[in-house]
Amino acid sequence: MLSVKGLKADVGENEILKGLDLEIRSGEVHAIMGPNGSGKSTFAHVLAGREGFQVSGGSVDFDGTDLLGLEPEERARLGLFLAFQYPVELPGVNNTYFLKAALNAIRKSRGEEELDAVSFMRLMKERLKVLHLDDSLLKRPVNFGFSGGEKKRNEIFQMALLEPKLAILDETDSGLDIDALRIVADGVNALRSPERSMIVVTHYQRLLDYIQPDYVHVLAKGRIIRSGGKELALELEEKGYGWIVGEEAA
Amino acid sequence: MSTATAKGLGANASQSAGDAFSGWLRALGSDGAPTSPGWLDSLRSDALARIKQQAVPTAKAEGWRYTGLRALMAQSFQPVEEPVTALLIDDIEEVLIPSLDAHRVVVVNGRYSAQLSDLGVLPEGVRIGSLRDTLARDPDALVGLLAQIAGEGSHVFASLNTAGMDDGLVMLLKRGAMLQRPIELIHLSVGMDEPRVAQPRHLVSLGDGAQAELIERYVSLGESLYCNNSLLEIALGRDAVLRHRRVQLESPNAFHIAGLYLSQGANSRYAGVNIGLGGAWARTDLNVRFSGEHAECDLLGLYLAGDKQLIDYHMDVRHGLPNCSSRENFKGILYGKGKAVFDGLVYVARDAQKTDAAMSNRNLMLSQNAEVDTKPQLEIYADDVKCSHGTTVGQIEPEMLFYLRTRGISASLARRMLCLGFAGEIIEALGNESLQHYVAEHVGQRLEQSPL
Repeated sequence: MLSVKGLKADVGENEILKGLDLEIRSGEVHAIMGPNGSGKSTFAHVLAGREGFQVSGGSVDFDGTDLLGLEPEERARLGLFLAFQYPVELPGVNNTYFLKAALNAIRKSRGEEELDAVSFMRLMKERLKVLHLDDSLLKRPVNFGFSGGEKKRNEIFQMALLEPKLAILDETDSGLDIDALRIVADGVNALRSPERSMIVVTHYQRLLDYIQPDYVHVLAKGRIIRSGGKELALELEEKGYGWIVGEEAA
Repeated sequence: MSTATAKGLGANASQSAGDAFSGWLRALGSDGAPTSPGWLDSLRSDALARIKQQAVPTAKAEGWRYTGLRALMAQSFQPVEEPVTALLIDDIEEVLIPSLDAHRVVVVNGRYSAQLSDLGVLPEGVRIGSLRDTLARDPDALVGLLAQIAGEGSHVFASLNTAGMDDGLVMLLKRGAMLQRPIELIHLSVGMDEPRVAQPRHLVSLGDGAQAELIERYVSLGESLYCNNSLLEIALGRDAVLRHRRVQLESPNAFHIAGLYLSQGANSRYAGVNIGLGGAWARTDLNVRFSGEHAECDLLGLYLAGDKQLIDYHMDVRHGLPNCSSRENFKGILYGKGKAVFDGLVYVARDAQKTDAAMSNRNLMLSQNAEVDTKPQLEIYADDVKCSHGTTVGQIEPEMLFYLRTRGISASLARRMLCLGFAGEIIEALGNESLQHYVAEHVGQRLEQSPL
């Protein structure tokens, strides 16, 4: 489903990604871990198409399409979803209106009919329940004045609504207390399916107690330096990143 | 406010307003103008005298620095002579808001049209009619009201309006009168064979404790070239409440000049929302005076200016008495080569203790070539007041745009959503749902047409 080969990306003068390789098949959950500044978030944003990151080498193939040649909205319509580490507040933009515009843009690109108001509300209410979100959030501006936990749940709620093929969760656990973490993880697990893949970017192993990955990768200095099963995450938790990064340098 | 005189402007720059606008004044009295009472004649001739003494404001004149009059002067507008009588209600369907439940008054090219107006049943104590009619039949009803608030100002266009005063809306509410439905005042402009200027003159007076909502709309049939120089005087008695919505959607070739002169009695409330979308050149002056304490005045506004458009709002709020509050909150969206001016003056006299005044002007620039000249001013001579002002000029945040696009929303729709989000606060303040919808629709259309 996703094939990343030798991906290099710069921010300004600095090369952040230095030849990253990653293969993801349908239905797999991959965790990407690594120390701060290793390029985890950059990788997530490069996949989503953020301006300001210069791709200087390599390729990203998403279900047979060259992802790097597409606008962010085209990537989303192909089924890519990024759950932001810091969801952006949009004052004045009504959450319901936003969700409807997003869902209909994606449905339209899939050749499906736009949802009418009634079916849309029904779908939203159903998905809200899964994430224990209050429907008053729908009437408020997008993320505006939301608590940290509400923002993260709103991200997963959007994912539940848009039903992507590949979801990238960028440090979704950061800033969440244990109850909120559990709710978010339940929401994510409910969305696991053989057709849907996920990249879970995280700094901590504890998220992986709730969202069990099929593979764990360690990203350091812009490259994946170690890959393994979920036991790798435990090892990292125990020993920290020092040993593995040091080993690589040696 | 222009305080320019010929002397102050220097020999080269000065052109007498009397000469420059002689065309506007030409038809005075020739059109079977209402036989006017003596007091009105003297108001007119005083205004005429002021015009003759004045120079046309140039870019050096305070209040006109960014709002050049050259394009306006170049048109040599002629006054509207004949009323347009051929229009039927079906002809103006496109400018109506079908879902808006209101007492409707239509003024066509400055002349009250009984044919197009639909007053319905008015509650007791409410009088609505044309200025012409009232002057002809019951001029005494206007003594001490007409031209009392906009009386002696030095604004050349206010003087022109007074000198050329001919027709418009008269809306009088007696003490305690209450309007359940809004009054909708539609200024309809219809293009003529040559560029015409209309100078409608309106008077709104609410007695003590009276309450009303006035929705003023400026619309046109087609994209014709014309000029509206309208003036509205509002007198609010003690405890009176007026909600006032002004939606300017003139033709893209139109010149629009509007003066609002408001006098607020003790404890009265005025809530005004100004929407400026249309016209090639639009200048609005909002003037507020308090005649009693504990009065509140809200002036909100939203303007969109694109290519070949200038939209200018000037505010002059004078706190002469203690304990009054005023709030100005204007938001602007500029695109293409659009130009806007915000000039807000709040003056707090020495005796106006406990004044609460806040002024804000925020602008969203969608293009490098757009321009906004924003000038909030506080002049405070009292020492126990709460006053603030702020102004911002910014662009759409790339973060916000990216966020929307990662959800599959196209860049152009995302920009529109963010602009509407920015404008939403003001559109919501319109209150009336039909009107909100109408304005949001037009703002959306304008943003859609704009090269973003």
